[in-house]
Order: sequence, then C-alpha cells, then structure tokens
Amino acid sequence: MRLVIDESRCKGCNLCVLVCPYGIFREGREQNQRGVIVPELDRPERCTNCRLQHLYGRLLCGMCQMICPDQAIAWEEERPYEPHRVEVEF
Amino acid sequence: MSAADWQRIDRLPNIYCAGCGNGSVINCTLAAVEEMGWTRENTVFISGIGCSSRAPGYILTDSLHTTHGRALAFATGVKLANPALNVVVFTGDGDLAAIGGNHFIHACRRNVDMTAICMNNQIYGMTGGQGSPTTPRGAISTTTPYGSAEPVFDLAELAVAAGANHVARWTSYHVKELMAAIATGLQTPGFSLVEVMTQCPTNYGRRNRLRQVSDMIEHLRTHALLVQKRDRLIREGKPIPEGMFVVGELVRRHRPAMGVRA
Amino acid sequence: MSRMEFMQGNTACAEGALAAGCTFFGGYPITPSTEVAEHMALKLPKRGGVFIQMEDEIASIAAAIGASWTGARAMTATSGPGFSLMMENIGYAVMTETPCVIVNIQRGGPSTGQPTRAAQGDMLQCRFGSHGDYGIIAVCPASVQEMFDLTAEAFNLADRYRVPAFVMSDEIVGHMRERVMLADTVETTPRRPLSPGRLPFEPGEDGVPGFPEFGRGHAAHVTGLTHDERGYPDATDHAAHEKLVRRLYQKIESARREIADYEVTNPDAEVVFVTYGPPARTVWQVMHDLSDPAIGHLRLRLVWPFPEFALAAFPDAKVFLMPELNMGQISREVERHVDVPVVSLPKLGGELHTPAELKRALEVHR
Repeated sequence: MRLVIDESRCKGCNLCVLVCPYGIFREGREQNQRGVIVPELDRPERCTNCRLQHLYGRLLCGMCQMICPDQAIAWEEERPYEPHRVEVEF
Repeated sequence: MSAADWQRIDRLPNIYCAGCGNGSVINCTLAAVEEMGWTRENTVFISGIGCSSRAPGYILTDSLHTTHGRALAFATGVKLANPALNVVVFTGDGDLAAIGGNHFIHACRRNVDMTAICMNNQIYGMTGGQGSPTTPRGAISTTTPYGSAEPVFDLAELAVAAGANHVARWTSYHVKELMAAIATGLQTPGFSLVEVMTQCPTNYGRRNRLRQVSDMIEHLRTHALLVQKRDRLIREGKPIPEGMFVVGELVRRHRPAMGVRA
Repeated sequence: MSRMEFMQGNTACAEGALAAGCTFFGGYPITPSTEVAEHMALKLPKRGGVFIQMEDEIASIAAAIGASWTGARAMTATSGPGFSLMMENIGYAVMTETPCVIVNIQRGGPSTGQPTRAAQGDMLQCRFGSHGDYGIIAVCPASVQEMFDLTAEAFNLADRYRVPAFVMSDEIVGHMRERVMLADTVETTPRRPLSPGRLPFEPGEDGVPGFPEFGRGHAAHVTGLTHDERGYPDATDHAAHEKLVRRLYQKIESARREIADYEVTNPDAEVVFVTYGPPARTVWQVMHDLSDPAIGHLRLRLVWPFPEFALAAFPDAKVFLMPELNMGQISREVERHVDVPVVSLPKLGGELHTPAELKRALEVHR
C-alpha cells in the first residue's frame, strides 16, 4: 500500500505533521496550483499501514487519516511491481 | 463499505477553514457509524445551523440541515415517527447551548434514542467569531472585544443533569478516544451527547494568542483532564487546576428511553 | 362506515386528521386549540401513531416536519402566539417542500390578546409570515363539519403540492358544538414518491418534485439553504436562487384553479358578501331572513392561493361587502381584483357580526 495526500482536498493545515508517530509528514515548502502548501512525505515506506495493512487485514495506526479534516489522506494499492534495469557502477 | 464510502466525494473539498477540527469529528463519526454496520437505508444525519451543522452535507445518506438550534426537535420527530432509523445529530456550541438550549435539555430529559455530537469551538465561527455561551471568561471575540465577562455552560455536565443516558467529552485531537466514545453513544439506547472540544484557528485562536493550528492543538491537549484523574484529585482533596476541562465518559446509565427500536 | 356525532370543532379537526391517516402529532398546549392536541393524545397511540407534547411551538412544528420526512402524515395545532413562534420553521418547510398540516385556531391578537375569543387576524401572517417569497395553501372552515372535511383535505393538498397546508380556523368554530358526519376514511391522495433516476429536488411538469422519503436509500440532502436539484446548497448563485424561489411560488400560484374551493350563491346579485370562516354563518342568516336574489354570497372555503377568478362569478356586482373578524385583511386582496367598491366590515373583540349589523350595512351600501 502507498500513502497519498490528495492535493485537490488538502488545505495545508499540517495536523498530520503533528500526529504521525513516525514523523513521516513534514511541513511542505512550495505552494501547489491551488496556493496550498501541501505537506511532504519523508520516506513514507516507514508507515506501518503501508507495510502491514494487508497482513493484518485491517487499518492499523491511521491517525493521520482520522485527524485530517479535509479527508485528504488515504492508502492506495500500489501498481504491480515492474522490474526495471538498474545499472550499478563500481 | 468503508468510512470513505460515506463521504459525498463530489462535494469535497469541504467549506471548513484550514486546520478546523470539524472535519476530524466527521471522520471519527463515520468510522464509528461504519463500525456499527449501519447502512445508507437506516441512517439519518440531522443538524442545525453553523459550521458544525454543515457536516451532514458531506455525508452520503439521508440528511436534514435544519434551522438554527432546532436540530434536536427535528430529530425527535424523525426518530419517533420511524424508530427503525438511526439518528445522529451534529450541532455546535451556539446551536446547542444558546438558541437550542431548551430543545437540548428536553431531548436529554426525554432520552430519545439518538446521538448528538456537539462540536464545541467556543465561538460562533460561521458568522465571524462572536462570543458564545461556551466562550471562556476573558476570551476575546468580536462581540466581547474586552474579554468575555460571562460564565460559561458546561454542556456535558448539563446533559448529565438533564438525564441523558450517555455523556462523554473529548477533543478533536484525541481522535481514537473520540471515535470510541461516539461508538459507545451510538450503541447506548437513549440520548447520548458527545461533546468535542474543537479548534477554530480562524475565529478563536487568531484573537486569543493561539494563532497556529499547532498552538490550538497543544492547548486542547494540555488542558484536557481525564475524568479518572479529576476524581482522584477530588478523592485526595487536591485542587483541580484552573482552566482545565474534563474529558472521558461522564455517565453511562439506563434511564427509560424513548424511540428505542422494539 | 360513517357515523353521526355531536362534537366540538377542535375534536372534529382531530377526527378529520385521523381519518386522513395522520400518524404524527407534535403539539404544545395553547388556548383555544388545546382540544385538538388532547384528542390526538387520546386517539393516536391506539392507532399506532405518535403523539408528542414538545417543549414549545417551535419544537412542535420541527418534530412534525422531521416526522413528515419519514413518510408520515404529520401535523401540529396552535393559536396566535404559538403560530408566531412557528414562522421560521414554516419557512423551512416551504423551502424544503415538506408536506405538513398546521392548524391555527385563531384568537384575538396582537400578543397574548384574547385567548378565549375568536379572531381572523392571522390570515395575512399565514400567507406572508415567514421571510422571503413563497406560496402556501390555507383553508377556512365555517362549521364543525368543515373542520372535519377541510382538515382531511388539507393533508391531501399538502402531500399533492409538497407544501405546508394551513387550517385557519378560529375560536368560534373550534369551540362550537354541532352535528357532524364522521367518515371512517376519506379519499386520500398519497405523496408521489421520487421516481428512480430522478434527483431528489428535480421537479415534475407541475413544478412538484417526487418525495425522497428517508430510509429508502435515496441519500437525500435536505437543507433550508438555497439548493440545486440534487439538494446541495448553492447559497451564492443568483440564478439558482431565482429558479428555486420562482418554482416554489409558481407551483402553488399556477395550481390555484385546481385547488380552489368556494361556494357561489345568487350569481346575478348586485350586492355581494365575500366571507371565509364563521362570518359566513351570519350572512347565511341574513340571506335567510331577507331572501333577496339581489344579495349574493361568495364563501371561500380556501383562501390561499387566493381564487380571484371566483369574484368574476358575480358579473353584475355593484359592491362587495366583506365581514371579517380583523381590520380587513382579505378585503384588500379582493380590492386588487375588482373595479367596483369593496367595503370592509371589520369586527374585533371576539364576537361574530350580528345579522342586524350586516343588514344595516346592506342598507347603507346598496
């Protein structure tokens, strides 16, 4: 699962920044097209919900989604893993 | 269904200001309703007038957005005429305590089976920040420019005294506890009041040195006194700190109720 | 099976509501309407209906409106001061197109006035009392039998046009005891439900939308704010507001021939009494005493929407006389529609006009 912020709904109140126990949300720096400074995600793969929701079959922490007054936070299914070639230089 | 399926997606984003707590209360309510397994066919949301009362407009079910202060009277009619419907009322501090005060105490007295969720932001937000019956003494609003001189209503205690079967108070910061309290309210036969202290950064915080959303949240967090702790302080004969408000479940009882599904 | 009884107007009103299938009554005691509530409190629980005495009149009509959205035929009954309290929610019922019946047993006003005396002083208040432009339906019974018949009819009209319907009676008819024929059931026209695929506030050809009853999965959002056909608030768009208010106004105005209910006596007359409610009873006596074909009588059983075409039933009329228990509230409405003089015969204080008074007026004005 992947954590996403719906930029068409977010008003940039940063409540998610206050409540996330993992510090995944960070105050944003740039305005989007609607003039809203949407929070940034700092290594969202650390979110328990992203990793363990399928395993437990239910929503885990979910604090950010619950407190988001603009219903802008959700987890969406990731697209199937697509292998791509990575060149590693030694 | 999941909680997100209860939202009227086509009406988002909502009208609330950035950082308003009302949206969080909607989330908690929908999560509790979802936990109850209620459906669109048997759930009705009713509200009066004010910021809080816009909430049913964002929920995909039958909803009645009524006149100022009268939501509980409308809800009484809906519930008694069709007890099979689950009735949830959204209201605010001005709506419930000022213009709707009479309907409030009588709804508690009748103990009609419904759950009222009061978003208490201590101000009239929609009209631009006027003082309400819950604006703390000394707080600045547009109608109390020298600080409010009036004592306040304690809505939860009022509901307990008036006879509601379940009364709880939380804040829009304590979302998990709030959701659990609302779920208890939905389960309890009879009248349930869940008072939610919410932040209004635009019209309350801005004038009362809580300019940032984080300041308001910090204020809510640090001024909430758990009911068990208050009781302990009383038992130990210690003073209860000034300016605190009690959170937790204040009462849960089984007085005779009206409109309970047979 | 019908049965003949001797009863009070207020009781007949309650019986009419029961016969029409009313299952919800929200009320608050107020003289001289209390007997309506008392009779409903007695009868409704036995029929599986709900009677509730609310904390005030504001809550009474609120509860009735709420009950109506669950599909129930709902009503409330009150008098002057309570009627004034109800005004805001009457506007709400109009805006949300909620069918409900409001009985007003009129008493002397303003303010507390004469609680035990009759008046017809709320005739304009029922039409214009809430803020904004709108249309409503109001019937005016002149006898105990009509209290039964017209109350039942008010439910049909309210459901047909999705509008609050008023039974504008008064202390005289409300407290009068007469013989009345009670039908067990009366003809009822049920509410038209919302058709599948239609939006909750999408009007039919007659301007009336189908009713999205609560608890059927319509997910109808009902608001007193200016709303679009989905029911969503749109409080700042002038076009949306104009469209909605024009429809609310027109759905009643354009149906006024269909709704009209009046009696014409002696259409060739030169002097014509126009009455509604109990002053008709004095006119009946006068016409009986004089038996003069030059005296006509237009009796309105339904006052709003005003059936101005009924006045044309008297092409030879030289003067219209209007005995009313107020300062001439409806006489002005009549004046707007005729070219001949309209004489208002107001009577205040709670007594009906006497036949002698009306005969004197005839001598002066014919």
